[in-house]
Amino acid sequence: MNIEIGGDSMGKEELLKAVEDALIKLDEGALMKACDDALAGGVEPLEIIEKALTNAMTTIGDLFEKGKMFLPQIMVAADIMKKATAKLEEKIPADQKPEKLGTYVIGTVEGDVHDIGKGVVATLLKVNGFDVYDVGRDTPLQNFVDKAKEVNADIVGASALMTTTMVGQKELIELLKKEGLTCKTMIGGAAPTARWAEKIGADAYAENATEAVEVAKKLVGAE
Amino acid sequence: MEYYCRLGDGHLIKMTKEDMKNSIEAGTNDAAERGEIPALTDDEQEFLLDIMCNPQKNVSVEPGNEIVVTHDIGTIRIDGDQGNSGVGIPVSRLAGILIHERAFGTDTMELGHIDYSFKPVKPIIFQEQQTVERVNLLATILVLYGAMPNLGLYYYPDGPFNNPSERFQAGDVAGALEAQEKAAEHAHRDMVYIMKNLWDVGCEGVNFDTTAAAGDADFYATLMATEELKRDTGLVVEMGMAAENVIGIHGSIEYKGMRLAGLYPHEQVKVAEKAGVDVFGPVVNTNTSRDMAWNMARAVTFVKACVEASDIPIHVNMGMGVGGTPMFETPATDMVTRASKAMAEVAKVDGI
Repeated sequence: MNIEIGGDSMGKEELLKAVEDALIKLDEGALMKACDDALAGGVEPLEIIEKALTNAMTTIGDLFEKGKMFLPQIMVAADIMKKATAKLEEKIPADQKPEKLGTYVIGTVEGDVHDIGKGVVATLLKVNGFDVYDVGRDTPLQNFVDKAKEVNADIVGASALMTTTMVGQKELIELLKKEGLTCKTMIGGAAPTARWAEKIGADAYAENATEAVEVAKKLVGAE
Repeated sequence: MEYYCRLGDGHLIKMTKEDMKNSIEAGTNDAAERGEIPALTDDEQEFLLDIMCNPQKNVSVEPGNEIVVTHDIGTIRIDGDQGNSGVGIPVSRLAGILIHERAFGTDTMELGHIDYSFKPVKPIIFQEQQTVERVNLLATILVLYGAMPNLGLYYYPDGPFNNPSERFQAGDVAGALEAQEKAAEHAHRDMVYIMKNLWDVGCEGVNFDTTAAAGDADFYATLMATEELKRDTGLVVEMGMAAENVIGIHGSIEYKGMRLAGLYPHEQVKVAEKAGVDVFGPVVNTNTSRDMAWNMARAVTFVKACVEASDIPIHVNMGMGVGGTPMFETPATDMVTRASKAMAEVAKVDGI
């Protein structure tokens, strides 16, 4: 199906591309108009969310990882995406509304005061559709467990910057198992590696914040 | 035939020459694409391949290609034993410097304290003055005073300003930006206060280590401190970075008309020059999941572009997880020597 936009005929792919481009350009007005055009063109609202908006956020994540886009811009992107999603969700029947990707508890393990990298990961997870509970830095391991139980976490992520503190990630995974939690576990930080994740029984490791989002999505079956 | 190599986490692996060649090509292309800089030439890639496939455990530069070696936290690496690096031999910081000068052949050295951030030096500045004086009486080589700008220490709960991570997560972008701007002012002031006090007792230079670790505002504070110190003192300034790319946590801070977020080493050095930095230390992070042929080619590509762009000496950061070196407490000499040779003979750095 094609629709006349300003005298031009646009197909479905073009309508979705216009939505995607507007979000990448952080142009709220253009995004809202592109969503209206796509709806008027017969594109399903869920398809606009799942294809155009999600693709745009993936591109934005890549741009961040390459240093071409920055944290405040990502927050702006998240904000206007939220508005566009709300607008589109009004058109979706209640039983088809998209759910949150998952619930994620994140923190830096006890003894380690570094929280900048962890904060960036938490922010990116949030803007990509996870419910994020940040338990902070230098966090007693029991706090991760208590929060995971309280919010019924899908994933618990632990950061450690130093070789001296990464042992806390191992102890956390052991504690989660001991307490009977079945949530997935992820680790990251400067010192940990994929091999360390495997050794301590973590479900996944991420090299950087963008990769953390991709890995988390896979863990909850969203990709 | 297979050759020994390592993954970025230090794990020993074997690779064919063809695999190694492909990794080198992929590594240099990754740096070229990200930094928008030239990839290594075919000859340079071939040279790297020869280094990687050298049958000797350790390699070295050809005579005449030797370069300067500077150590940063080495003063406490001999005494320190935190369960990772450090050998736990009880000697003072002064003895640590003299051992590096007289036994290890270090060309310049750094005095640092165990906490290794500038902010905690303020309450112990008089002790640091005493130590600087004592070191200068005995050491012949240039001894810099070094620490991390570490803007993180100015945010809640370590400092007076809102934590940008919390503000971002709360959707308060303006609050996150304001906190960084205020923190940068305080960090700038503290670095200047400390180094002027040390200059007063004869300190010869400063090493800003892991600059921009907390993002572009961290970089800005350090540039401002450099500018003021170069204006008001005779201190030599070495600036070592924290990563290959300045992470844009603020995103719009500029220094002399140049936005700091997103800069790669060849761009970082030009900003550093404008502030008056004398020696620049680029950093390229090691990907622990990729092999060292990939990592080394990538690191050398970034650093070579930095050397070519620079009008000041380049002392590349090499060690645990940076500069084509595996992310391991005590990186294996096979990869350390290969990366060192590559940096000296391909990137043509002035020092390590």
